[in-house]
Amino acid sequence: MSVYKPSAAQETGTSRRRAALLAGCAATVLFTVTACGSGGGTTGTTTKDGFAQAAQNDGALTVWVDATRMDAAKQYQALHPGVKMDIVSYDGDANGSNYLQTKVQLFNRTGKGWPDVVFSSQNNEASWAVDAGFAAPLNKGLIPDATLGGFAKGANDVCTVDGTMYCLRNDLSQAVLWYNAPLLKKFGYTVPTTWEEYQALGEKVAKEHPGYLVGDAGDSFTPEIYLWASKCGANHITGPKSVSVNTTSEACTKMAKLLDVLIKDKSMSISGVFSTDFAKNEADKVLLMPGPAWYGGAVFKDGLKTPAKQIAVAPIPQWQGDTSPSTGNVGGGTWLLSKHSTHIKAATDFLKWVTTDNAYQGEKAPGFPAYAPAAENWLKAQAASGYFAGDLTALKDASSQVWSDWGSGQFSQEAIWAATVKPGLTQGKTIESLLPGWQDSIAKYAKADGYKVSQ
Amino acid sequence: MSRTRHGEPRQRRRPPQHVASRLLAGSVLTVFVVFFVLPVVWLLLAATKTDQQLVHDNPLSFGSWHALTANWHALTAFQDDAILVWLRNSAVYAAISLVITLCLAIPAGYALAMTEFRGRRALLIATLVVMLMPNATLVVPLFLEINAVHLIGTMWSIILPYSFYPFGVYLTYIYFTTAVPKDLLAAARMDGCSEFGVFRHVALPLATPVIALVGFFSFVANWTNYFLPYVMLPESDQMPVQVGVGSLLSNVPSFNPTVGALAIQRPQLALATLVAITPVLVVFLFAQRFLVSGMLAGATKE
Amino acid sequence: MTLTPSSAGSVRGRPRGTSRQSRAGVAFVAGYVLLLVAFGVLPTCYAIYFAFTNAGGAFTGFSNFVTTAQDFRFVDSLGHVALYLVFWLLSLVVFVVVLALLLHKLSSGPVSQALRFLYYVPGALAGAASVLVWLFMLDPTVSPVSSLLETLGFHTFGEVIAPGNLALLFTIIAFWTGAGGWIVVMYGALNNIPKDVMEAARIDGANGWQTAWRVQIPMLRKWIVYMVILAFAGGAQLFVEPQLLSLASTGVAGRDYSLNQLTYDFAFQMNNINGAAAVSVELLVVSVSVAGVFVARSGFFDAD
Repeated sequence: MSVYKPSAAQETGTSRRRAALLAGCAATVLFTVTACGSGGGTTGTTTKDGFAQAAQNDGALTVWVDATRMDAAKQYQALHPGVKMDIVSYDGDANGSNYLQTKVQLFNRTGKGWPDVVFSSQNNEASWAVDAGFAAPLNKGLIPDATLGGFAKGANDVCTVDGTMYCLRNDLSQAVLWYNAPLLKKFGYTVPTTWEEYQALGEKVAKEHPGYLVGDAGDSFTPEIYLWASKCGANHITGPKSVSVNTTSEACTKMAKLLDVLIKDKSMSISGVFSTDFAKNEADKVLLMPGPAWYGGAVFKDGLKTPAKQIAVAPIPQWQGDTSPSTGNVGGGTWLLSKHSTHIKAATDFLKWVTTDNAYQGEKAPGFPAYAPAAENWLKAQAASGYFAGDLTALKDASSQVWSDWGSGQFSQEAIWAATVKPGLTQGKTIESLLPGWQDSIAKYAKADGYKVSQ
Repeated sequence: MSRTRHGEPRQRRRPPQHVASRLLAGSVLTVFVVFFVLPVVWLLLAATKTDQQLVHDNPLSFGSWHALTANWHALTAFQDDAILVWLRNSAVYAAISLVITLCLAIPAGYALAMTEFRGRRALLIATLVVMLMPNATLVVPLFLEINAVHLIGTMWSIILPYSFYPFGVYLTYIYFTTAVPKDLLAAARMDGCSEFGVFRHVALPLATPVIALVGFFSFVANWTNYFLPYVMLPESDQMPVQVGVGSLLSNVPSFNPTVGALAIQRPQLALATLVAITPVLVVFLFAQRFLVSGMLAGATKE
Repeated sequence: MTLTPSSAGSVRGRPRGTSRQSRAGVAFVAGYVLLLVAFGVLPTCYAIYFAFTNAGGAFTGFSNFVTTAQDFRFVDSLGHVALYLVFWLLSLVVFVVVLALLLHKLSSGPVSQALRFLYYVPGALAGAASVLVWLFMLDPTVSPVSSLLETLGFHTFGEVIAPGNLALLFTIIAFWTGAGGWIVVMYGALNNIPKDVMEAARIDGANGWQTAWRVQIPMLRKWIVYMVILAFAGGAQLFVEPQLLSLASTGVAGRDYSLNQLTYDFAFQMNNINGAAAVSVELLVVSVSVAGVFVARSGFFDAD
């Protein structure tokens, strides 16, 4: 039937159709846009605690947590049966999923749907949540100063924008020096206290006990362990939207050189502690391992299945002549409270409990609590578990020694390192030679996220 | 129905070349079988291992039944049988949208192929264009639309978008234009059939294979869709299994180092993956029976 | 009943039949059109509207297009996608058609059926589900094909996922999940080719390859065109494969690889839905242009 091309008349008909279709959808778009514009619903707000609060009611408290923090929310519900709660499990923004940000953007458009309290496994949420008008200020009346003062020094820096605190830290991930105590003793070595000693020991291990490791530099968070501890100014967030990046200062290059020497000697692995390669070939070769607080459980106990009474913890080494001890930090989650909450009282109570109460933070929490009194209790519980060799005071000391000039911007330092430095490392390039490219990359990502970059 | 192909005498004039070409064909098919199946076999075996075995044992060795059951228990323990809830959700979403899709896409594809009406071309073009549109920016408009009709939080917020299945409309369209002669319909009209009668009594019986095809692909597309429910649904007990597997993934230490004691081990994730894909494979086996039979019907009814 | 495709059925009662058909046609598509407008046309128009406005809704012309094109990742990802498209389209068209023809020739029911099932199985493993699979397949330490990887000179996961290999890896992953479905479609289409046509070719003395080349492939034309149009759009919108490799390698490979990843970054990480829309519109224009060429040259829209 349609062997013939459609006639000219039909063609015009079609294009008229198309024009009508376009006009129709343009009209609908306009309609929808206007409909949304008026949907804000800002009636009945009162300004209190430093922000405009929505009219309060006593509906269910909506809490978003990841699977690990589910226990905390459930425990709170059990202890406070009178509180109506809607506990929602989500991925906790792990792996840069941006779930929270995505949803908040959508809720901002529709004017409803925000959770009251959210846990995030990322510590850079404040960098967007303030701009998005989501995070409520916490140190303007909601949380008493006495409580805020109980957090480890610098713990809530990642939550602070222009002096206002927009989230509370759940756990700290301060870096320390993990080591295998019986093995170290057997080899007749002592724990290094300076980076110079650390390097010398690494070179010695390479000669005397080839195959054994004094560390790993193959993870995306490698710079946060070594370069942060070395006070390398790669990530100095100087304002809400400004960052200073300098990866070629001496603080950076001397640590890079140290790593390069040990990598060349093969006493520093570049597999990454979570790689199958590491698990298969290097699990029982760990002599020393600089790493964050959570290495004790996640890497040694659960990952590498190191037997009990072997792993001990010491302070991370310092450069010779350095007066103030400094260390790095790898992650650590945060809790945010929504500005739009209509149950601010209940939300605040939950937030205070979940970040400070011994019942959860002091006893059950898997990570090192950011709230110092709870951390004391947590350390006792860890010591009582009998897994570690020796005491864990180095962890406590390190919790207040995290160098404060490495910030938490919107761009992911870990992602940048993984994409720019790691492939070069695999190809056999030195970290030192990759530092300029790393700086370049950080600057580009920071600019793309709207940061003012000084180099 | 007569399937005459089997009994037919094949070319026997040049046996050596014939053998060589069959050998070549056989080896090509085999190489691809290995390519497609090996990773799946690995996954099957992975579910029977412990995390230690997964790393240390031969990749293609069997773990143990004990490890398999232990993995299953660990998996179901994750948020109190969450995986069963996810599976039920997926089944509900995929099944309802499958029905709606079939009811709308098959007639539409038929009409586009077999009838002339004003706007046919515009419809074909519009369908193609929206099918080619990247998804990232469609999420926000969809969310706003669903919100405008107050369906956020209900299962319709994903069932309705799922039900729109342009891919299936095109499959149907191409099927009818290539496989069903128009004269057949014309003859039926001459016999006094109404337009609906033509569709119901002539076109539909001939369309079994494409219905199976559209149904199957729609089911799979809905079953495996991740992003829409991930963004659209507010409650964790509404999540379909794809999103569930995603959240399991974010609890595996190698992908998310900071997870605590509740960590999901990789073999458990492998098992969850297998559980998640089983329904798709069952539906495939079911649909496959219709793919061949009906297709031949059109040509052999003469 | 005569069924020769070229018989002149159009002579009879054209005007009345056409108007009746026209009304019926509209009725048949009505339900679908409703969904098309709601979930296809409207969101697409909305996205186009986004592309030409700013966050405040003011018209900004092409400024979103310019800003996004100036993003430092844009040119690189454009190159990545172009390279990937070459691998992807070639492998898909060639292998899918060849495998479907071979399966069809094999024709001994159960074997062919079993093979189609096996080819399809990975199709069920979409997205997050296959992260684990590829993490282990591509890691020489634990891979079932470690000897193959070692022979190719790869000793660690890091070497396998080196930047130069990515386009090929993504093609393999995409082909692994995507080809089975198309093989099923093509196989079904081959079954549609009337017996007498095949028979005629055989009587003319055409051997298997000649039949495939002169009869079967031309008769698959529409299906192949459809596949190419969608495969092109799908390839240009590459997202899932780099994303999953990025997850598997904790960000070492695959982040910011493709244009579509960039749109997700714009939309959901940088809160710039307008920039994201601009890149989406660019992808749409390219895909539609390619589709237009194929449609025009193949008579795809002709209801013959």
